[in-house]
Amino acid sequence: MAKIVVVTSGKGGVGKTTTSAAFASGLAIRGFRTAVIDFDVGLRNLDLVMGCERRVVYDFINVIQGEAKLQQALIRDRMLEKLFILPTSQTRDKEALTAEGVARVMDELHGEFDYVVCDSPAGIETGALRALYHADEAIVVTNPEVSSVRDSDRILGILAAKSRRAEEGKEPVREHLLLTRYAPRRVQGGEMLSLEDVKELLRIPLLGVIPESETILQASNQGIPAIHMKGSEVAAAYEDVVARFLGEEKPLRFTQPEKPSFLKRLFGG
Amino acid sequence: MTEERTSPPQLRLSGGVFTFSVLRLESLDPGQLEVQLKTPEPVKQFLHNAPIVLDFLHLPDQQLPLRPWMDILRAAGCFPVGIRNASPAQAEAAAAMGLPHLRGRELEPALQETPAEPSACSPAHTTGTGVSTEPGQILRHPMRSGQRHYARNRDLICLAAVNAGAEVLADGHLHVYAPLRGRAMAGVMGQEHSRIFCASLEAELIAIAGIYAMPDPGHPLWGKPAEIALEGEQLRIMPLGT
Ligand SMILES: Nc1ncnc2c1ncn2[C@@H]1O[C@H](COP(=O)(O)OP(=O)(O)O)[C@@H](O)[C@H]1O
Ligand SMILES: [Mg+2]
Repeated sequence: MAKIVVVTSGKGGVGKTTTSAAFASGLAIRGFRTAVIDFDVGLRNLDLVMGCERRVVYDFINVIQGEAKLQQALIRDRMLEKLFILPTSQTRDKEALTAEGVARVMDELHGEFDYVVCDSPAGIETGALRALYHADEAIVVTNPEVSSVRDSDRILGILAAKSRRAEEGKEPVREHLLLTRYAPRRVQGGEMLSLEDVKELLRIPLLGVIPESETILQASNQGIPAIHMKGSEVAAAYEDVVARFLGEEKPLRFTQPEKPSFLKRLFGG
Repeated sequence: MTEERTSPPQLRLSGGVFTFSVLRLESLDPGQLEVQLKTPEPVKQFLHNAPIVLDFLHLPDQQLPLRPWMDILRAAGCFPVGIRNASPAQAEAAAAMGLPHLRGRELEPALQETPAEPSACSPAHTTGTGVSTEPGQILRHPMRSGQRHYARNRDLICLAAVNAGAEVLADGHLHVYAPLRGRAMAGVMGQEHSRIFCASLEAELIAIAGIYAMPDPGHPLWGKPAEIALEGEQLRIMPLGT
């Protein structure tokens, strides 16, 4: 039976799609049958970040409207045998995501996968509500700035009130904080909230910290999920996130500014 | 043919109890209200889309044009829904504009007799509505931005944080055993003896019986445990537990 994980935030541009791609890939690397779904109808970014945009024939909306079978729309990942992508449409609007349609697709995925990762659109309207409705767990992607924290807080309130688990009076959705685009140097300079600030404001368990890095841009330009960028900090940070999600203990990394090297200190950097 | 077909559907009337904010008009000059409404953001948010009852208690019994008041309130984003404590002539003028003269519950005399230190006795004595033997209501989960909770006829006890953008209201006392960062209103029905207690005062807005204040981060008790009481027309913020 699949566990459903929503990657959400309220705010746009914080790293949900980047995280969905890396996290779903990380689960598949660990051997779990994983599906990652793009709920951002109209924008459609996930297939680009996963590098499968040319192989899209049918999408999530086609399946919801009965124009294609789920098997026809699921795209097998280039790199990972156990990973499948369900892309979305760029030409339809959010209203095409009907509650019944989404429920049907979720039901069907339930039997076939270990994890279903839902990449949520920004905002707190229909698209975001559909993406979080079925969630068992939520990764709340937050940047170290006040407006992002406020939007994350808002989405946490919505998870507690409007998810299926809330409506059915079950165990609440398990909440995880993922702090992304973290630039320790700018935190030190007081331009950004610190990890401690964000934890104190949101008060949910921390899943990890992803540093701000050029590597992300290179990865998404090549259509390669960031977790595959061998030797990079972001890949290591996303590996830690997956490990912690699966219950392993991992110390935090990349949250302190890099110390300038001995030579740099000697001669000035 | 049958009677059912021709008779119109029946009217369905049912009772309802609602909470409105009461705005006491202090002067005949609408301009003064306009200035007063240029309030900081948290109050603006609180007033946005809020139904408002205009209280004429402090105005002289003379006729006054209502239109300017209405325009100012609408411009501030609120909905005037009625008036109270008006003279017959004022009430008639209001009725002509579609504003009913409301006879909301005044503070009951019993209330004003409550001892000066009501927080020392059980909350049942202080909610003062006659239905008040209920214990306070307990909220265990954090209140997050955009959420709102109202404990009617009783105290509200929040065990987790009330975050910025969240709103907690109680007819009785309000206890927050965690940081209070959002908006907190005690004594919503006018109970002036209600108090607010919090483990860390970081609120956007605090109010008791409609008298509000916005503590700022420069306040000596900012980020500290605090108790807030209404004294006369002003909120007094004091250290908790001393
Ligand atoms: N850790 C990071 N460091 C640098 N840039 C990042 C990072 N995470 C995301 N980005 C960039 O931020 C932008 C928004 O990311 P995306 O994942 O599409 O956000 P969302 O799905 O929340 O709108 C993209 O240009 C992406 O490359
Ligand atoms: Mg996205």
